[in-house]
Amino acid sequence: MNAQEIVDKTTRGTPRVLVFACRWCALVGADAAGRGKADLPASFRVIPVECAAMVEPDSVLRAYAGGADGVAVLGCHLGGCRFNDANHVALKRMEALGDLLDTVGIGRRRLLLSFGTAHEGRQFAEVLGTFFRELTPLPSLEGWRKTLLNQPSFR
Amino acid sequence: MPGVIAILCRCCGQIEPEVDLQALRERIGREAGVVSVEVLDSLCLPEDGAAIVQAVESSGADRILLAACSPYGKAGDVVSALCARGIDRSRVRLIDIREGCAWIHRGDRTGATAKACDLLCMGLGFLQYGGCSTDAVVAVRPECLVAGAGSAGLAAAVSIARAGFQVHLVERAAEGGGMLRLISRVYPTDVEAAEKLRPYLEEVERNPRIVFHPKTRVVSATGFAGDFKVRLASATGDVNVRVGAVILATGAGVWLPRGLYRYGELKEVLTLMELERRQREGKTAAKRSVFIQCAGARCPERPYCATMCCPSSIKNAVLFRKADPDAEVTILHRDIMTPGHILERYYRSALDAGVRFIRFDPAQPPVVSGDGHVEHVEVFDAISGVKREIETDQVILSTPLVANTDNAKLAELFHVPLDGYGFFREDYPLHPLETRQGGIFICGSARWPVSSTEAATQGEGAAMKALAILGREKLSARSMSRLPEGKLGHARIEDSSCSGCGNCVAVCPYEACTLQRMGGAFVSRANKMRCRACGSCTAVCPNGTVQMPEHNARAVGAMIRRAFAEGDAG
Repeated sequence: MNAQEIVDKTTRGTPRVLVFACRWCALVGADAAGRGKADLPASFRVIPVECAAMVEPDSVLRAYAGGADGVAVLGCHLGGCRFNDANHVALKRMEALGDLLDTVGIGRRRLLLSFGTAHEGRQFAEVLGTFFRELTPLPSLEGWRKTLLNQPSFR
Repeated sequence: MPGVIAILCRCCGQIEPEVDLQALRERIGREAGVVSVEVLDSLCLPEDGAAIVQAVESSGADRILLAACSPYGKAGDVVSALCARGIDRSRVRLIDIREGCAWIHRGDRTGATAKACDLLCMGLGFLQYGGCSTDAVVAVRPECLVAGAGSAGLAAAVSIARAGFQVHLVERAAEGGGMLRLISRVYPTDVEAAEKLRPYLEEVERNPRIVFHPKTRVVSATGFAGDFKVRLASATGDVNVRVGAVILATGAGVWLPRGLYRYGELKEVLTLMELERRQREGKTAAKRSVFIQCAGARCPERPYCATMCCPSSIKNAVLFRKADPDAEVTILHRDIMTPGHILERYYRSALDAGVRFIRFDPAQPPVVSGDGHVEHVEVFDAISGVKREIETDQVILSTPLVANTDNAKLAELFHVPLDGYGFFREDYPLHPLETRQGGIFICGSARWPVSSTEAATQGEGAAMKALAILGREKLSARSMSRLPEGKLGHARIEDSSCSGCGNCVAVCPYEACTLQRMGGAFVSRANKMRCRACGSCTAVCPNGTVQMPEHNARAVGAMIRRAFAEGDAG
């Protein structure tokens, strides 16, 4: 992998974010943000999930490969999970994924883990807005993506 | 010709200012597999509801992509209405382009249209691979197991038997009654415990639907809601029962405050339970008594309030005063815990009866002095700031109830969790008296220390919850969800590719996945009745063997691949 490619600083406007939202909290927050007509960049997409524990680490990596600059995994309060504290395990799993992201050069800053902070529309908009601001100065992942997609084992 | 019909909702003009629906219609129409794209004015109006059905029928499509408002809005009802007309839930995908797109990206028509297009393409990808779980149905055994014949267990057993179902009432002691056998009277009514117990015990004896198993323990348990197989062991031999529901009412245990306030050293220092026994045996009370509250409760090892010790002390203090108007009774307390109007009135009545209450600071606990026998108790009165020396003949320590030591074994057998103190953990916060396992309920002091009255109330509550299962002839796996919309599906495991690593077994919050031997190797099996479709197992499976058909990896992969496709093109 070419170092120049990794630090490819092409500016592409707002970063692209894929959000995995638990339908018991963050999806309700996203809905409330819509009803409250929050102002958010159009470059994020939400995938509703039953529980944050359902998000495969593989899916997060695929999201970076598929064009996302950041991935957000939003779940319920730790202690307020509808599925018997499955989100505690999800948090551990995603923290471990953060280590992996650091190792491969993507960096854990591009993975937003948030539990119990996006239930309300205002909170959802704040959490995403902050994440967008943090992602904006980061370099593009295009170089990393090209190298990855050229590998025959991928996909 | 099977394919997808896309139906876009204008939402009476709410969407169009931000999203170019005509461009979207043309763009989606070019996607492979899309047979028709309709733009309707408002899906939630009755005439448009009929138009959807007509459009679906005339196009011959077998899958429907709806682009409308959020599932929490009217669109959720539209989907439900379609499902009610016989369209499979897994064949409908709702895309939120109002709350999730048009309303939050005002002033960015290009971006919002690109996003709506991506969202629809994601929906198409999902519809291509999304599957449907097969349901499982079990015949419900119209019998119930109640473990523990204390106040809670007796109330539960009697309620279920009166509703017409067979009950197996298991008790480790020779007779039923539990904690009520140990105490003299019951607060706040001051009724004798034996008196309170009598109707229950008579009913247990008289009602042919209650099978009482004394001196019996549960030794093994398998199964799931509707059909548990439980083995009961006693001196006379083992019995196997098959029950539809299980109620755990094992009560709590007493705790001995060894070394606290010179308990065990001076024989006049008693626990509340020992005092109850003396009261029951009619032994005359001492002239002067001091109660010390929170002995071993609300401390680092047991930071909880056992709730029944303050009213019990008040009850005994008042009984002392009534038996002997000259008796000197003092209650040393940190805070008097008598919640509710009945118990507060009870506390006031103790004040009227002449019981003295002195508040102490936990940093300066009372000191029991005496040589060979109790002489006096020194206490620093936290309200008046004075050190007091109270002469007394006996000291009664209000000790908390602690978890029954049998709970750990039962928790393991029935796969239900315990809290940090060994009590059964409720499925907090929305499902009182239920555990995380369907069909297993908890009540009384097995759940948390309560009075006998509250225990009986909870026992009846647990019985009602059990009857909700017992009353059905069949129980479907899809109904085993406590969530209003029902269950998403069930985890499905392919035997051929399962490596038997056990990751799913370790992570399943409901112990639905178990390893089973097949041939020479282990494979994991997911129990549909226990599975609640959280998807934890799918996230940890190393080779994608465990899948939730409704949310499988290929469908999610298709969504991720298309998430930013249009944004790039535009």
